[in-house]
Amino acid sequence: MLSFVARRVGAAAGTLVLSSVIVFLAVQALPGDVATQILGKDATPDAVAALRGKLGLDQPAWERYAHWMRGALHGDFGASLVSSRPVGGEVATYLGNSALIALVTVLFAVTGSIVLGIVAGLNRDRWPDHLISTVSLVGMSVPEFVVATVLVLCFSVALPWFPAVVLYGPEASAGRLLPAVWLPALALAVVMAAYIVRMARTSVIDVMASEYVTTARLKGLSTWRVVTRHALPSALLPTLHVIALNVAWLAGGVAVVENVFNYPGIGKLMLSSVQNRDLPVIQAIALISAVIYVVCNLAADVGAMALNPKLRTGGRTR
Amino acid sequence: MASIVSVNSLSVSYRSGGRDVPVVHEVSWGVAEGRTLALVGESGSGKSTLAGTLLGHLRHGSRITDGSVHVDGKDVFALPARELRRLRGTTVAMVAQNAGHALTPSMRIGRQIEEVGGDVPVLDLLEQVRLPRPAELARRYPHELSGGQQQRVAIAMAIAARPKVLVLDEPTTGLDVVTQRSVLDLIGALRDELGLAAVLVSHDLGVVARMADEVTVLRSGRVVESAPTRRLFTAPQDPYTRRLLASVPRLDDAGLALVGETGEREIRPRAVLSPEAEVAVSARDVTIDYGSSRAVHGVSFDVRRGEVLALVGESGSGKSTLAWTLAGLRTSSGGTMIHASGDLARLAGKRPLDLRRRVQLVFQNADTSLNPRRSVGDAVRRPLRFFGTVQGRTQAAARARELISDVRLDPALADRLPAQLSGGQRQRIGIARALAGGPDVLIADEITTALDVSVQADVLRLLDDLRRERDLACLFISHDLAVVRGIADRVIVLRHGVVVEEGPTEAVFAEPGHPYTRQLMAAALEPDPDARPLAADVADWADAAEPDSVWTDHGHGHRVRRWRPVTTDGTVPTERTVTTEGVA
Amino acid sequence: MTTLDTAPVAAPVASATRAARAWRTLRSSRTALVGLTIVAVHVLIALLAPLLTSYDPVANDASHALLGPGWEHWAGTDQYGRDVLARVLYGGRYALGVSVAATVLTVALGTVVGCAAALRGGWLDDVLGRVLDAVLSVPSILALLVIVTALGTGPAVIVLAIAVVYVPQVVRVVRGAALAVVPADYVTAARARGERTWSILWREILPNITDVVCVEFAMRASWVVLLISSLSFLGFGADPPTPDWGLMVAENRTAITVVPMASLAPIIALATLVVGLNLAADGLSKAWGVDRIREGS
Repeated sequence: MLSFVARRVGAAAGTLVLSSVIVFLAVQALPGDVATQILGKDATPDAVAALRGKLGLDQPAWERYAHWMRGALHGDFGASLVSSRPVGGEVATYLGNSALIALVTVLFAVTGSIVLGIVAGLNRDRWPDHLISTVSLVGMSVPEFVVATVLVLCFSVALPWFPAVVLYGPEASAGRLLPAVWLPALALAVVMAAYIVRMARTSVIDVMASEYVTTARLKGLSTWRVVTRHALPSALLPTLHVIALNVAWLAGGVAVVENVFNYPGIGKLMLSSVQNRDLPVIQAIALISAVIYVVCNLAADVGAMALNPKLRTGGRTR
Repeated sequence: MASIVSVNSLSVSYRSGGRDVPVVHEVSWGVAEGRTLALVGESGSGKSTLAGTLLGHLRHGSRITDGSVHVDGKDVFALPARELRRLRGTTVAMVAQNAGHALTPSMRIGRQIEEVGGDVPVLDLLEQVRLPRPAELARRYPHELSGGQQQRVAIAMAIAARPKVLVLDEPTTGLDVVTQRSVLDLIGALRDELGLAAVLVSHDLGVVARMADEVTVLRSGRVVESAPTRRLFTAPQDPYTRRLLASVPRLDDAGLALVGETGEREIRPRAVLSPEAEVAVSARDVTIDYGSSRAVHGVSFDVRRGEVLALVGESGSGKSTLAWTLAGLRTSSGGTMIHASGDLARLAGKRPLDLRRRVQLVFQNADTSLNPRRSVGDAVRRPLRFFGTVQGRTQAAARARELISDVRLDPALADRLPAQLSGGQRQRIGIARALAGGPDVLIADEITTALDVSVQADVLRLLDDLRRERDLACLFISHDLAVVRGIADRVIVLRHGVVVEEGPTEAVFAEPGHPYTRQLMAAALEPDPDARPLAADVADWADAAEPDSVWTDHGHGHRVRRWRPVTTDGTVPTERTVTTEGVA
Repeated sequence: MTTLDTAPVAAPVASATRAARAWRTLRSSRTALVGLTIVAVHVLIALLAPLLTSYDPVANDASHALLGPGWEHWAGTDQYGRDVLARVLYGGRYALGVSVAATVLTVALGTVVGCAAALRGGWLDDVLGRVLDAVLSVPSILALLVIVTALGTGPAVIVLAIAVVYVPQVVRVVRGAALAVVPADYVTAARARGERTWSILWREILPNITDVVCVEFAMRASWVVLLISSLSFLGFGADPPTPDWGLMVAENRTAITVVPMASLAPIIALATLVVGLNLAADGLSKAWGVDRIREGS
């Protein structure tokens, strides 16, 4: 059991290292010289060369990578090319704001969609299934910006319950941002839930058709007991990984929605840093997203272990 | 005696592609209290569907179109949900076909038994099904048990609430013979002890002969014949029953049994092998490792042209591993394997084309050995073109049709997809594909295991014909001693990757020298309620092979690995050294 | 006694059965048929756009700005006085053109790599899995944005960028499907014959995962359409005068209370296309029984 966890953690660390290399190389490969960009097109070659030296751009790539990684491990991602402030602090502020949305989204989407998926799966080919399947199909088919726009139309314009756009900067307190969290979270939850509902439905149908569920039924157990004790642990297993992937997807998925609502989160920062070619910020966001992805998957693996005794007891068979 | 189960002109249909397909057609039968009835039939006979109806269970998409099922006086399909639940478990209980799939993987054994209800403590139940260390076992998960143990747990679960009727759906299919024997003994003992009525669903006439009081033979959802067991086996009335019985290979057949339309048996004498027949494959001290565990340990043999050599053993004996290694699908870690035209120690990809062509493998499961998206003619044409046996498309097509008719199939089938063929037809195509390269060695890996017994008889006969016609050296892998008895010229018995006995078929079956061989024979079930086991039960033994004296020779190539008897406390009873006479 | 087994069912010829089978699948699944019809209608509209409207989708006309739906402009006009209906009809060209190109490239690359990984296994599979996981760990929208800002917003760049982002996911799905086929005895038989990897892939594996690949194609296409429209919405996709649905929503969103049709029309077009693709994917996967493999991605 411990060896299983250790193996997974090792693999996750390996993935992270590889991701950081890919991120670093990709950003390095971007055309245009950073020093020229900072100083403007009219800068003298001497000034450019001096800045290159200062930024360490004249060193070989692997040394710059090592330097960057050393800093990143200590939370130091360098300084923003635009605001000259430390990237670490800036990203953390925006990330905190986004976490507020993400938390609400995950809470609603995961609980709601698992329940709906199970209901649909248990009522296969009857009206609750048709209803839930249709709604989730529509949820999958509409882009986030459309859901967001429709929500604004309904709950900001027609019924002025929530703000349509956020007027505060990134430093606003959580309390001030809270009213602006609900609509973006709802928009993301609709899209995210659609996938989880479908996965949960399919795996519930699969497991309910399995021999051991039939056996449990033929033992004369109540439907409730059959579903909760025999079917669900196995049915949730594949759903777990879909949930993990979706939660990780949020790291990038917030970009569109935050932009619609002008919400000062990581997605907005991502967009503006790409527009401004603020490379240290882009690198930092990409690396942090990779960490989120890896951690989510790791959590799903550990969750799977809790649900599946085969993984827990390792190779001990017979 | 009152019947506890009665099924009255029951019809069941399955809805498929917008129309009803009848699965069971106006079937009536009943079981009296304390009696055992067997439902016998080949695949598609509707026997499992019938078993399910006793518990009010139908597969998704099936429905009752006519008739009724009464258990303990209650109309099962008219019961309200709550009472149906009470009926299940407390009145009727089922032991499902494959316990490995029927136990919930995420729940401990003890909990699964406990939740059935009933007053018997779990540990007593586990003891009752003769499982060792019940307290520890109850805390385990299903995947931590062996197949036999899982089946015993399933039985414990079924008898937990002390039902009146036990439904056994192929309870021992998939278990090794020795395990099967002990599980059947257990079921028999429990049935008598608890006074249960039992419904046994099986395709295996040996199992039925041993367990049942009465037998109902089913075919395509209809009852063919119903009779008390002894009468059915001694004087079957219906031609189908007679043919079914005649198709079962027996341990005392002196050769391959050929079965006629109405069930007459004719034993074909064994092919006489010329003493000069050349050796096709020669293996010496072959060792094969599976990661860190050793699957095959120093096996040696020769197969000559025109000879059928059988490798017999239970699962885990290494017999299939050996077959796949000879076919070049796995590497050996020691010893030599030589064919007249090259070294068989190399993987298929590294063998010369001619060697690959000459050594061909036929797979166990014909369902997966043919590409479902390509016509069967294509499956036969491909090796023809690949090995360059024929030139040109039209010639390949013509030769493929010839091969298909060589395996006694209509060449018009060449355009079909595998799914449009029956299991037996697919296995013949598998053989035709192996023949396409013009091999001189055919490795048949459990090729009849997945087939119904009447189809098995036909395929065995085909194989016997082919090796005579084409002078094939044939390595026949099987777990079934009775099948081997009819077709093989020589037998090698494998246990845990080690050869324990080998010799001419007649000699080995007449005088099995090794206790393991005797154990296998004793466990084999004959389709005859009065059959005496061919060998008496065996006492414990231990291996006594020394590096310089491994074998005891019985002459004519019949030799037995040295062993010594052991008493239950682990000591050697007498000072007698090596013995092959066995223990009294 | 001879055992010339005769046919249990009427004998259709195998080569003809493949087309017949596909047709039967379609007919048996109403969902797939409806989905494919919707997609076909979209394709037709995009192709025939010049015949369906006489307006130029990019011609400004300040005197007719922000009109509601009426006889002259069925869906009204936007802030520059461009006919909304014309822009929606022409908008399908960009959406479909770019998505189809991107999906074909993505699925083709992903299928080849996925099959090869499943068949070869070993270190190649391990290394590939690691690298793909690392690529997947970077949010796709960020990767897209970076590529597009670096290389420009031309259609070719977007196609390439989408391939980079989605190929790893297709590889995973196809590899999973191929892994289910690789241990089959017919593949083993081909190996025992000593067939080459490519030949096994082409003859034995691909025919058995075409259904998975088709479903993946429809599914992936719907995601690509969504992604491209999001990109345009954010201002990183189609360049402004181009008629594109995502861009139209972005342009007209602020005036949504004045001319709701200018935003709604492209939304409806976008949603119906994606619903169509999803229905097709759904129907096909159910008819072929591959829903599990896909959703496990």
